[in-house]
Amino acid sequence: MNTMNYKKTSQKLEVELTGDFNLKAVRKISDLLGDGSELFINLKNARFVNSKAIIFLHKLMQGNPRVVVRLKNPPKIFFELLQTLGLHRIWELDEIVEP
Amino acid sequence: MEAHLLLESKLEMIGTVTDFTYKWCVNMGFDEHSAARMALSVDEILTDIVLYAFKDEKGYVEIWYQYTPSEIEIIIQEKGEPFDPERHTYNREKALIEGDFKGASLETVQKMTDHFLFLNRGKDGKEYRLVQKYSFPHILDLVPNEYDFEKDEDPESEHNYLVTPITSEDAEDIAKLIYRSYSYSYPKEDLYFPRRLETAIYNEYKYGTIVRTQSGRPVGYFAVVKSTDSMIGEVTEAVVSPRHRNRGLMKKMMLHLIEMSRSGGLSGLFGMAMTNHLFSQKVNSRYGFKSTALIISKTGKRTLKGMEKSHLDMVSVILDFLPLTKQWQRPPCLPKDYAELFSEIYNQFEEQDESSVKQKPAGSKSEKTDMNLSINYESQSALITVKTYGSTFVGSCMRMLKSTEELTLTSLYIDLPLDDPYIDSAITWLKDHGFILAGLVPFFHQEEDYLRMQRFFKDVNFNEIQTYSEVAGKLKKVIQDEYNELQKNQSEA
Repeated sequence: MNTMNYKKTSQKLEVELTGDFNLKAVRKISDLLGDGSELFINLKNARFVNSKAIIFLHKLMQGNPRVVVRLKNPPKIFFELLQTLGLHRIWELDEIVEP
Repeated sequence: MEAHLLLESKLEMIGTVTDFTYKWCVNMGFDEHSAARMALSVDEILTDIVLYAFKDEKGYVEIWYQYTPSEIEIIIQEKGEPFDPERHTYNREKALIEGDFKGASLETVQKMTDHFLFLNRGKDGKEYRLVQKYSFPHILDLVPNEYDFEKDEDPESEHNYLVTPITSEDAEDIAKLIYRSYSYSYPKEDLYFPRRLETAIYNEYKYGTIVRTQSGRPVGYFAVVKSTDSMIGEVTEAVVSPRHRNRGLMKKMMLHLIEMSRSGGLSGLFGMAMTNHLFSQKVNSRYGFKSTALIISKTGKRTLKGMEKSHLDMVSVILDFLPLTKQWQRPPCLPKDYAELFSEIYNQFEEQDESSVKQKPAGSKSEKTDMNLSINYESQSALITVKTYGSTFVGSCMRMLKSTEELTLTSLYIDLPLDDPYIDSAITWLKDHGFILAGLVPFFHQEEDYLRMQRFFKDVNFNEIQTYSEVAGKLKKVIQDEYNELQKNQSEA
């Protein structure tokens, strides 16, 4: 089964995951993103986002050059995990999570 | 209801396992959010196993999914590279400032589960135990404020009763009946949570019988909890509404349960009769149950409504067994130290006679010892079940006992298969390590008879232990002697 459906332009990668945001999905997104500067992920089919995925996103957003990350439909558990890892304090969730 | 997976440690298998975990948890009655938390926890452990335990080498992971009415436990075992979780603790500040996220997976698992346990069993591998409790409401949260439970009671003049098998729709009535009869004093907490009961009945974890009056009000309940490891069940959770006692309802229900169990193909039933009074032992004896073991266990301090000794801490039970099959053979050899006692235990049963002895299948002794651990978090007890003795028995046992040191236990039991002469060496070794006899546990694992030994971490007052049958008295005598001997040796050491 495909881990995701995606659309790639020169700088932007748009992904819709077909399942959970786990290490396999992280690796695929990392490959697809390459040197891209913008990442959009629709998580409507994800029941969870694991810690490797959150750390991956964190490093993209903190990297040099920074990648702009936008998430849509993250599951409730995603926010709990952000809190667990202490990242809720520095992530600009209003900008990262699309309504 | 229980599940077991054996998988190759590969990144590609993780998604399949987390899908299964999520669906299994939902099927067992978890809401979607709790199921997602369990699936995430399994994902975190498996991902670390794939990344760090085996790296590029081939390895296998075994996963067990276990259900009880109060919780779900998932056990993950692997034999990859050694790992010390103490050296992988998550530090938020380090993560935020230095980008060092070491320990994030274990931190996630700890937060997403109600109970997380890591057991290092040395050469026998590592074990991760994830426990999540059901978050169902208590019966008092389901009824209106000031609800009068006494109103559910029919007048004492009611004498027409209907005895039927329970269904999941009876769950709330059973919880109300328990509360009405025992207030908060009933030892099985699950019975105060109707959804736990409903799920347990729906999942066929238990079956039972309910007595209703002509007007449909419940006045009696009695259940059998099925063993997950053998075709036997425990008769338990007996209640009769106070106004309807002494009318033969317990007898009606017990006979109904025995009949249901027989027609359901069970090989036997057992009852755990508390020894702070004789009532349950007498009831069991009346229906043909025979005493086979005296098990010392701990329970939280509680008040038992209507009982003389109200505050109990260490509680022991007599295991009474009722065989339901004629196909029961005694083991080829009885353990040397207990040959006479076990012979007396077996002789109690008509189904048993000394000429009916099981022949041990020929085969060479395996090198590997196969044993597993089950933990009862509520009673703070654990049971090690030895499936086969191998030449590594002592080493495996040492490692297993060492791993249990990380648990807060008040009692630890070990079940030894009776069909192997190695049992004598095993008993000697266990006695040297603080264990004493508990007795015979018939048909307890894979329809085989086992000998149970026990070790407890609190003092036991044997004067409080009352026994009804002659064999139960003999069991008490042997166990008390061993206990005194052990105490003497420990104080001399």
